[in-house]
This record gives sequence, structure tokens and C-alpha cells, in this order.
Amino acid sequence: MTPRRKWAAIPGLFALAAAAVLMSAYQGASSSPNRSPAQQQAKSPFPEQPAHAPWGYWGGSTPQGRAPVQPINFPHPVHVKTLGLNCVYCHFSAFKSTDPGLPAMSTCMGCHTIVGPNRPASPTGPARKSEGITKLTAYRNAKKPVPWIRIHKVPDYVNFPHMAHVNAGVQCQYCHGPVQNMSRVYQYAPLSMGWCVNCHVQHKVRYDCSVCHY
Amino acid sequence: MSDTPDSTGVRRRDFLKVLGVAGAATATVGCGNTQLEHLIPYMVNPDETVPGVSNYYASTCRECSAGCGILMETRDGRTFKLEGNPAHPLNRGALCTRGLAAVQGLYNPDRYRSPMMRQNGKLVAVTWAQALKTFGDKVAELQANGQAANAVFINQHETGSFPAFLDEWLAAHGMPAHLSYDALADTAVIAANRQSYGVAWPSLDFTKAKLIVSFGADFLDTWGAGVPQQLSFADARAKLVDAPRFVYVGPRRSLTGCNADEWVACRPGSELAIAKALAGTGSIDDAARAGDVPAETLARLKNEIAATKPSLFLAGGNTAQAMELALAVNEMNKAAGNVGVTVDPKRAIQSFEGIATPAEVADAVERMRSGKVPLVMIRGANPVFTFPKTARFSEAVMKVPFRVSFSLYPDETAELADLILPDDHPIESWGDSQPMANVISVQQPGMDRVYDTRQTADVLIDVAKANPKTAGMYKVPNYREWLISRFPGGVSAFTAALETGVASGAVMQRRATPRQSTPTTPAAPAIAETKGEYFFVVYPSPSLGDGRGANKPWLQELPDPVSKICWQSWIEVHPTTAKKLGVEQPGDLLSLETPAGKITAPAYIYLGIRPDTVAMAFGQGHTAYGRFAQGTGVNPFEVVPTVFEGKSGALAWTATKANVAYTGDYNALVTTEGSARQHGRGIARAVTVEELRKGHLESGPEKIPGQAPDEFLPGLRSPVAADAQGVVVQKHAKAYGMYEPDNFSHMADRRWAMTVDLARCTGCSACVTACYSENNLPTVGAAYQNARLLEKPQAGANILRGREMSWMRIERYFEGGEDLVTDFDVRFTPMLCQHCGNAPCEPVCPVYATYHSPDGLNVQVYNRCVGTRYCSNNCPYKVRYFNWFGYGEPARPQYAWPEQMNWILNPDVTVRGKGVMEKCTFCVQRIREAEHRARAEQRELRPDEFTTACAQACPSNAIVFGDAAHPEWTVAKHVDDPRGYHVFPELNTFTAVVYMQKVTHPAPDAPAAE
Repeated sequence: MTPRRKWAAIPGLFALAAAAVLMSAYQGASSSPNRSPAQQQAKSPFPEQPAHAPWGYWGGSTPQGRAPVQPINFPHPVHVKTLGLNCVYCHFSAFKSTDPGLPAMSTCMGCHTIVGPNRPASPTGPARKSEGITKLTAYRNAKKPVPWIRIHKVPDYVNFPHMAHVNAGVQCQYCHGPVQNMSRVYQYAPLSMGWCVNCHVQHKVRYDCSVCHY
Repeated sequence: MSDTPDSTGVRRRDFLKVLGVAGAATATVGCGNTQLEHLIPYMVNPDETVPGVSNYYASTCRECSAGCGILMETRDGRTFKLEGNPAHPLNRGALCTRGLAAVQGLYNPDRYRSPMMRQNGKLVAVTWAQALKTFGDKVAELQANGQAANAVFINQHETGSFPAFLDEWLAAHGMPAHLSYDALADTAVIAANRQSYGVAWPSLDFTKAKLIVSFGADFLDTWGAGVPQQLSFADARAKLVDAPRFVYVGPRRSLTGCNADEWVACRPGSELAIAKALAGTGSIDDAARAGDVPAETLARLKNEIAATKPSLFLAGGNTAQAMELALAVNEMNKAAGNVGVTVDPKRAIQSFEGIATPAEVADAVERMRSGKVPLVMIRGANPVFTFPKTARFSEAVMKVPFRVSFSLYPDETAELADLILPDDHPIESWGDSQPMANVISVQQPGMDRVYDTRQTADVLIDVAKANPKTAGMYKVPNYREWLISRFPGGVSAFTAALETGVASGAVMQRRATPRQSTPTTPAAPAIAETKGEYFFVVYPSPSLGDGRGANKPWLQELPDPVSKICWQSWIEVHPTTAKKLGVEQPGDLLSLETPAGKITAPAYIYLGIRPDTVAMAFGQGHTAYGRFAQGTGVNPFEVVPTVFEGKSGALAWTATKANVAYTGDYNALVTTEGSARQHGRGIARAVTVEELRKGHLESGPEKIPGQAPDEFLPGLRSPVAADAQGVVVQKHAKAYGMYEPDNFSHMADRRWAMTVDLARCTGCSACVTACYSENNLPTVGAAYQNARLLEKPQAGANILRGREMSWMRIERYFEGGEDLVTDFDVRFTPMLCQHCGNAPCEPVCPVYATYHSPDGLNVQVYNRCVGTRYCSNNCPYKVRYFNWFGYGEPARPQYAWPEQMNWILNPDVTVRGKGVMEKCTFCVQRIREAEHRARAEQRELRPDEFTTACAQACPSNAIVFGDAAHPEWTVAKHVDDPRGYHVFPELNTFTAVVYMQKVTHPAPDAPAAE
């Protein structure tokens, strides 16, 4: 390489460095610049969903406000508010594992063998045929689990222990929002690193990197 | 930028534009994962599982005959890590490197995925119904025409009920009892033990001995039951001033020999004469002449042996006189009064009971060759590979009209089969084993089947049921029920035993194996009488065993403990021999020729071998056996004559001399070694027993006045660590945040540290494999991962460029012996991230991707890392590893876990991407898990509640991990040891790893007149 060519290489290196900074800023789970203001306002449920959500292995958490259509439109309000079920009735390992747990088909069918698709008029609604329970029964009869769509996901390089938070007295709603009011669950919190760290600082818990990243 | 001379600025700008667009595209789309992720719940939750929490199922390891107890860490229906079972009397919680790698056999991408049948000369997949019908029809046909009595069943040797079950099945079908074959078994020693003590393998207690003399018995490699022997040996060495002196007699220093205090380098085949001379039944001068060793040495040893009691004498070496040697050594033990003290036949290891000799197998082979055998069935064993090529095993097998294999893998023997009924992996199987009297070690599946395979015992039950003649033979549906029906104490005892993995009682015994004919083996000539310039020593590889490990990339990538070579075969030559041959550098290709054939392999110049001897490990050089094994290395059995030890029927591997010549070619050695010498750096330190007795130590804990309290806490006197402990800072200063001792998190209370006792460490490298298993370390040496780097595709090319990813490595150093004549000391040092209190890597990181945590960890944050590699350049210990390729990314050609191998990944540990630096984390995931568990149970961490993967596996108990700041942890006691030292203390790194000096027991000076 002649000296001239060497000089010519420098802008390229700058560009590379800039790209690297951009990439790392994006990868670090800070607030993502390409989120719409509507998405950042978690209050507005069901914003239009991008067909291809921009998250992934190396790219940070799932986006705030995301509310995918689930295979069964599970009504959290009916189960939580009207019937008074506790969260850990279904999410049974939230207080003892990193993984909160999903209800098995047997958990659903524990009630829904009795509570069938034909619903009489009751405090939970007028007489009707429940579409959700019909679908649920169909899944049960086909011996297939319900393929729920994951809403909350932190990147692979983040370890989020549910039990540590639940046992420390953090309400589920603190991160997941008023699920008891959500007829379709959406991602309430940004799940960004800044959001995590803020809470850790406020509540005086350890917040150095190796608490979550390993 | 551009190499073409006519490149212009416009082109550069174009390039930058493209770069900018590509970068933006990457930022918006490239990171996106367009697939929706699903959460699939169970239909019915299994009672005993909690998602995200591991279950540990107790079982039995089947990687060698010993039968150690294992715990299978299983989560969400897949087993991903094995650990030793602390409740098991044999291995007491430890596990060797081959046992740890068993999971790579389970998920091996080259396993048979379904039954196969040969149609038009090719193996094609069939259904189980078809395969079972074919097998059942064949068995019925043989029964009908009276041919069944000539059938042969060769099984991989194991203890437990299965051999008896198999014999019962064979007898019901009119077939003779099976041959229980293990290529690694020390048949000659077993035969001698039977003759001397009446048991195959007495238990050995190294701790009671004051002197250990091994005549080629590699008890730290593959001789006998490895893990219990290593535990006992390490415990003996840990007695320090009272520890036994260990003398190794043999032509080359094996891993066991490297742990010896003195090496008597005798000619191969002369061990018997030396043993007799030392026992006083032979002439010292004759022995000195036969073995080419100084007569003074033998005289001194003879006196020492006479004066030192109790002692322990061990025989090994696979020469044609091995049984005579073993008998002579047993006599020595008896004469010295060691029987019942260090050698205990009453507490015998039963792992080798019922084993068939290679001569018996060879006898069956000859019957096959003569065309008398109508059906051969082989399960587990790979005799085509583990017999010398001169036995022409495959040729004989092909004479059999119908060949059935129960192999899991497409090995050399299975490739010859007409019908393959793939067995379940031991991790998927039910079973039991009897490692000791009154001890049953149960075997249970850790998970459901990975592929469409079936346990052989179940296949046999199904075949028996389908046959009208034997339909009533089994009242139970499967082998598990059969096992329970015979289990001492019944189903309740069985269920209880599944929890601990062990039960008391005896399994169903095999009745005496009726031999078809007494094998007669001609008396073999002594090796010294064969033709050739150099003695040719063949020994089993400590990591690959008899070649069974060669399809497991962890074992391939694990550097051989002695030579530090991986993914390759090599010929060991002494430096003077190398000079004589014209070999200038390690890696020069040598051709090795015997009457049986010729092979070529690179030279490894090794101080620990006699100048008139060359040596090669077997285990490599597979012609089949999957993508990791096939074509890697050279098989020395290509050139070994088929010679049996006359009386015991053992195969004599070391049976011939060979001519060796330099070919003029070169093939770089795939080695992870930097230098074999310490160059005065004080990495692996040792103290002689005399110095230790007097209290003179090379180096004690450093005292730096004014920095810290006098307690010797690893890394505590560094500025950062001292801040964390509140030693230096003013306690009222608020700016110190979490480094302040009164911080809300109380994390600064803890100080994670490790001690490595080099007096215990034998260099076996189990810790390295445990680390691979626990921390999702990619292997980088497979041929497919680097085919484009070299002109010739070769396994290990990435490692040639120093790109191995082993967070932990064993450094092996030679001390002394520079004149190529005098004896030398070998030292092993496990080298891992030292978690420096004052880490050189931390200040050079431009993005703060590495920092010191308040509990004493040097943390690497993968998602912060941009891959400048400054930290690695600044690390004096060279323990940081960089992901040059996307080993963890399935779409890349270098992906280290081809399907189903990716099921091995530990879900607690991030799989690192390309361009990221990584290193030992002190198993931070285990620390966090223990902390979370303690917190959930509202208690403090209990001392020694958990440990790292390396410390857990260590079969020498050399590694201790814990919180050095709390005195009740073991590690806090160990750091006070006067033998403790840091590596490179002069750099003020204040490491959290404390090594404890090795203690050597040099030969006493000239023999005292007694």
C-alpha cells in the first residue's frame, strides 16, 4: 500500500467505527430508535403490528406495545377479575424458577371439562357459544398443546430470574402491566436495559453487568 | 481497500456508499428474527419437573467397564450435563473426561436414526416392524435347521443383569453364551489376579502405601478402574510429607508416568526381569542389561523396596510377557505384606468379572472365517477397529451369511452388518451394574429417545415373544419390568434406588461361560527378538480410550494430557532419535514400518521416551464412525502383528520392533502447547518433600505492608478488591456505590476464589471437558469447520492458528532433563482466568465490556464486547478466547453443534456470537443459581453449597472453589496454605486463583549401605 492509499483507507475505517458504534448502541438493549411513538406509549393497546418484528438473537428485547393475535383469544380479565384466579394458578413456577411457567392443557381442562363452550348467561357475560373454549376443546381433542405466541422476550444474553423478582415482592403488573384488564395481552414495558437498571437503582439492588449478563 | 492499481476515488466512494447502506440494512433488518417464537406448554405437567429448574437423575456411566455413578442434569426433557454421583462408592462424585463426554455420544449427529437393512449392497432405513421380523425370522430359521449353536454374539463388556439376561435369551434360542469383550481391559493382569487372589480386580488403596512402583501400569490413563484409582492416588499425594514415593518403570512416560517421582526408563519387555530383580528373585545385573538401566538404580530401588512398607506394586504393559509380569508383581505384593493393606481382594472391583479374552474373540473370528458361523451379532464393541489389521477381522466377518449389529454409530464393525438394530444410548436405557460386591448401581434414562432407536434388551424380548417356541419366556412387557421383577427388594427398593443411584444386593449372575473351544495361542516371541530398529510401543489414548471417544469432538479437541496434541496422531520420538532420523522439528513426517505394514504420522519429540523406542496411541484413524472420527489421525493397529500373551489370551500391542524413517514431508502438529519449559516464570512450582519438612518453601503468600489485613485472601490486596472489602476506602464515602462494604446489595461481602492443589492434580484434563460441557464452549477443530484455511483440509486447522476456545487448559511443563539423559519432573497446571483483583484486561477495554464485579469476578459482558481483543493482548495468562467465526450461529459453516448436538447446550449460559471475546466466568451461572435458591429459601449461602463444573468433576479433588471471605468455606482455609502461591505475582494482578505447590519425592541419594 502506498501512503496515499493508506490515507484513503481512513474514511472507510471511520465509517466502520461509526457502524460499529451504531450497531453496539442498537445491540445494547437501550431504547430502540426505530420504534414509533405509538409503540412507546404502552397505554395504547393493539397498535398495528409490524409483520416482521425487529428483534432477535443479537438485537435486543421484543418491542414495547406488541400485541400479537394469539391462537386463542384468552380473556385474562374474565379469569383474573371476574373469577379471581391468582396469576400463579396458571403461571405456576413464577416464584420458584427463572421460568414463570405456562399452564398445561390439563390445567385449562381442569375447569373447562365442566365449563364447556356453551355459556349460559352469567356474571361473565350473556348466553353465548364461546369461541375460545371451542378452540381449546379442539386442541385437546387433537392432543395438541396451544401454540401460544411469545410476547415478552429478552435477548439470549440476558438472564431474567422470575423467582428473584416475585419473591422480592415485585408485583407481576410492575413489568407486565395491568394484565387483568388486557383482553389481548400486549407488551407493557420496554424491557430495555435502561428500564431494568432504573428499577434496580431505585430499589437499591445490585446492578452491575454480571447480575444479568452471563 | 482495493488491490487493483487503477482503483479510483469514485470506486472508494462507491464502496463506502455500499458499506453505509449495508450497515443501515444490518441495523434495521439484519438483526431481525422474522420468525414468531412460540411457547408450547405441556399437555400434562410432569410432576417432578419445574420449567427452568434442572432435575438430576442418577444412573451408571457406560463409557468404560468400570461403571461409575453419574447424575444426569436434565431440563425440559433433555439431558445436557453429566456429573459424578457423590453417593456412588466407586467414583464419589468425580467423573473422568470420557464419562463427561458421554452426552456427545447421545446427541451425536452421526448416530443411526432408525433401523437399517442392507438391500442391494446398501444400508437403507427400514421400520422397526420390518427389522424385527427379519431378525426374528433369521433366528427362527437357525433354530429350525439346527444351526443356532454356531451363532456368535459379541457384546461390549458390562457388568449387571444384562449379560445374564442375554445368556438366558441366547440359550433359549439354542445359541451359545455371548463373548463379553472390552478392548481396553487388561486381560493379562485380570488373569494373573484371578490366579493370585481369586478375583479379577482387587481394590487398590494408594493412601496406605509408602512406596508405589508401577511396572507399566497406567492407572491414571486407562488401566483398571480409572476414577477410583485416581481419587485414591490423589488422596495419597495430598498427605504431602507422608505421601508415597512413586516410581514408574517403563519405556515411555505415560500420563501416569508423568506423575511419578522417578522414572526407570527400561526397554519394553524387560519389566519382568526388573520386577524379579527388585523382588530379589532375579539378578540385578541381568535385569540392568536386559532393561538398559543402571544397575545402581535397581540396587537402590531394591533396598528401598525392602525397607519401605507398606508398598504397592502394579503391573501393566501390554507385552507378550504381561501375565508373567503381573504374577511376579502380585508375588511382590504378597511378599511385602501388601495384600489386605494396599491390595484388598476382599473389597474387589467387580467391573471386570465375566470378561472374555481377546483370544476367545479371535477364536470366534477364526470360526467365522472357516464359514461355520451362520449368524454374528455384535453390540457396542468395535472389534474390526480394535483388533490389529493382521487379524483380518472384517474379512472373517464377511464370511458370515447374516450379520446383525446393535451399534449406535456407523462404526467399522457396524458398516459390515446386514441388519442394524440401533441400541438406545446408555442415557436412554434401563439397566444395572455391579461395580463392587453388594453394590448395585442402577441405570435409568435421563430423557426420551433422541432418535428412533430401541434398547437391545427390549428388542430381544420382542423377538422372543414373536417366536412361538419362546413366546412364554418373558412374562413382562419390557426389560425395565424384567429388571424390577428381579431386583432385590422388588419395586419399592428399585424406586428407592433410582433416587440415589445405588442399592445393596447382587444382580443376576452369569453362569460360567461355556467356551466353544480352548483358544490356543502360540507362545509369542519376546519383543527384543523381533526385527527392526526401534521398539514400537502402542498404548490406548487416555482421552479417546480404545477409539470409542473419537466421534466426540470434546475428546478430539482435548489436548492429549502428555503431548498436548489434538485432532491428530503422532509418533513419539526421543530428541536424540529425532536427530538421528534427521527430524528437525516436531511435525516432520515419519514412516513407521513393521512386517505387518507401513504408516505415516508426524513426529512428536518427547523427552519421556527411550531413545531406542517409538510410541503411538491408538484410538484415532477411523475409517468410519462419523464426521468427527473418520479420517482423523492414523491407526497404529495397521502395523501391529496379532500376537497374544500365551497364557491369559491378552492381545500384546507392544509386540514388535519397527523401522522408522523421515519421509522429508511435514505436517504441522496440532498442539495447544506454547513452550514445554517454564523459562523461570514460576508457573508450576514444586517443593521437595525435604524442603516441606523443614518449612523452606519456594514462595509463600506475599506480604505487602499497608495494603490489607494480614489474612491471605486471594486478590484482596488489590486496589479494586480492597475497595470492595472496605479496607482502603473511607466508609462514609458515598461515591463508592456497590463497592462499598455497607452497600445494600452486600455483594461486596463475598470474594469468589479458587485453589488448585498441584500435589493432587494429575493432569487428567477432566476439568477441561467439564468446562466445555457446562459453558457451551464450541469445538473448532473439526475438518468441516476449517476446510478452506489450508490447502489440504485437515482437522485441527483452527487450532494451528491458536483459535481453540478452551476456557480452561492444562499446562504441562518439564523440569530438568535438559541433557536428555537425566530424569526430569513433569508438572501440570490447570490454567484458567485468574479473576485478577487488579486485572490488566479491564482498563484496556474501550467499551467497558470487562470489569470487576464487587464479589470478585472478572466479568466479560458479551453484549458489550465489540471484539477489539485488546484484553486478550493484555492478559498475561492468555486465558481469553476470541470467537473468530460464528461457532454458535447455526447458519454458519463453522457451527460447532450440528443437529442434534445443539441439545447439549446449557440453557443457563449464553451461546456466544462471532467477534466476541469470552473466558472463564467462575461458572457465574452456578453462583447466581445458588444465590437465587438461597434467597428463595430465605437463608444465606451455606459453605461449600455449590461449586464450579471443573471442581465438581475433578477426579483428584484438586480444585476447590468458594467464598474466600467467609472462613467456614473450604477455600478460605486452603488459601492460607503455606504452599499457596499466585502465578506472576510480580505483575500485581492479585489473582483470585491460588495454586498450591506440588510436592516431589526425589530419589534418595546413593543407596545407603544396609
